[in-house]
Amino acid sequence: MGKCGDKSVSMNIKGGCRAGVRFRPWRKYAVIYRSVLMENLQYAANVAMGFFTYFVFIFIFIKLWGYMYRMPGELIAGYTKEQMIWYVMMTEMMLFGSNAASVAGEVARDIRGGNIAYLMNKPYHYTLYILSKYSGEWSIRLPMYALLAVVIGTVMVGPLPCFRLTAVPAMAVCVVMGLTIHAVFKLCISLFSFWIEDARPFQWLYDKLILVVGVMFPVEIFPRTLQPLLKMTPIYTVCYGPAKLIVDFSPEKCLEILAAQILYLTAGGVLMTLIYRRGVKKLYVNGG
Amino acid sequence: MLTAVKNGLRVCVLSIKYNIMREMVNKVTFLTNVCFMVLNNASILVQWFILFRLREDVGGYTFREILFLWGLTAASFGLSHILFARAFSLSELIIRGKLDSYLVQPKNVLVSVITSSTDISAIGDLLYGVALVCACRPGVGGFFLFLLFTVTGMAVFTAFALLLGSLSFWFVRMDMLQGQMIMSAVSFATYPDGIFTGISRFLLYFIIPVGMAVWHPVHVMASFDAGMLLTVLGYACALSVAAVAVFYRGLRRYASGNLMEARM
Repeated sequence: MGKCGDKSVSMNIKGGCRAGVRFRPWRKYAVIYRSVLMENLQYAANVAMGFFTYFVFIFIFIKLWGYMYRMPGELIAGYTKEQMIWYVMMTEMMLFGSNAASVAGEVARDIRGGNIAYLMNKPYHYTLYILSKYSGEWSIRLPMYALLAVVIGTVMVGPLPCFRLTAVPAMAVCVVMGLTIHAVFKLCISLFSFWIEDARPFQWLYDKLILVVGVMFPVEIFPRTLQPLLKMTPIYTVCYGPAKLIVDFSPEKCLEILAAQILYLTAGGVLMTLIYRRGVKKLYVNGG
Repeated sequence: MLTAVKNGLRVCVLSIKYNIMREMVNKVTFLTNVCFMVLNNASILVQWFILFRLREDVGGYTFREILFLWGLTAASFGLSHILFARAFSLSELIIRGKLDSYLVQPKNVLVSVITSSTDISAIGDLLYGVALVCACRPGVGGFFLFLLFTVTGMAVFTAFALLLGSLSFWFVRMDMLQGQMIMSAVSFATYPDGIFTGISRFLLYFIIPVGMAVWHPVHVMASFDAGMLLTVLGYACALSVAAVAVFYRGLRRYASGNLMEARM
């Protein structure tokens, strides 16, 4: 981290510096990403074993909203039954497909177990290393869950009305931004392990906030007075925004969500770096 | 026979006591785990406030019955994870050959395995469940019914976990299935049975035992029915006996992992 900061030199993934080669700081993260991607590709069947839990969640919500919508064509908070179920399927797809919990768990274990002492000396920034690994994981998981969601949705709910195929690239960008913001915030919480032994309770609360307010319901279902407040929380950028674009796309909404995501990602990144810098100063290495 | 049961119970109580004492070494972490689990569970009430703003009932349940449902699920799940947390990760012990250290001890194998760990955050689940039901003012009779059903629910959840875990004696990769089936049972248990119909309802009563662990008890608490009460008690006993039988049957097939491990 910064040991080879001179731009006349570069470093490879093993940490060596080669003089006279152009400095490409992102290359090492690309290599980490690629290696995790290849590793996960070998174990794609393991990912498929998690499909059962995803199916159970979706099945419950199909039944629940099937009960809540009693008349065909009824609207709740401006959503038809199909849109509401597709919304939940998309938000759940992002959570299941990203597996941010395992990344957060890895950070907490590294800090509690002392492994961080080895990792922080490597020629990369620890938090970016974790984010690269996370990206390598979701690059395999997310498309698999997306495919499953499309199959379940089409068979059990019916095709999404007014879906715009041409808007898929914009939706994909918002989904990726949402996943990254989610990981950054979960990482920030895990970094609290520098101060407290177990940061899991804070993760539970954050996860539950995301689940109850963003995953299960769109923001419009909450009382009008609460909606502006909810739009200022990470929920708006992590799950509501991307899922809303998928079920009801509009270019104006897309730009609004992307702007909010850029703001959140920047703020989250700065916060993550600050917490990490303060945290490593608290680190005691006992040897062994 | 009576002495063996007495000794088994003593081992059970001591094991749980030392598990909790071990976790209480770091008091801040202990309290944070318990308190945040209560908050974590309480936050899900938002979902029901929203749903009851839309309809007067959800799946035929009133808001009070939903609180009973959540209270009973949280308390049963919590109690099973306080007393018998290891039953929920039994697959891992079997697959990794970690049962050896329990087999050589002069104690009941099953009791010493399933009581060898306590999930501290489950204390938060139990407290939340009790508080939620008390908030509904169920009356003295209703509260005793709740306590009884917490114990039957605990027995059903633990027996279900034990059954699935014991299948690892025969099949590989049961650890993932065990975890997924238990999480599915808990997910189903926190929604009213009225939203499920047909084959799914049948499965939830007879394959994933959510109906007998939570839904039937909630119906009994809402309007007492002696027949239903006896059905729940009988089911909990039968499932527990079946789970114990399957565990010991499977244990005959257990092959040591050749792992050196010491249990203090």
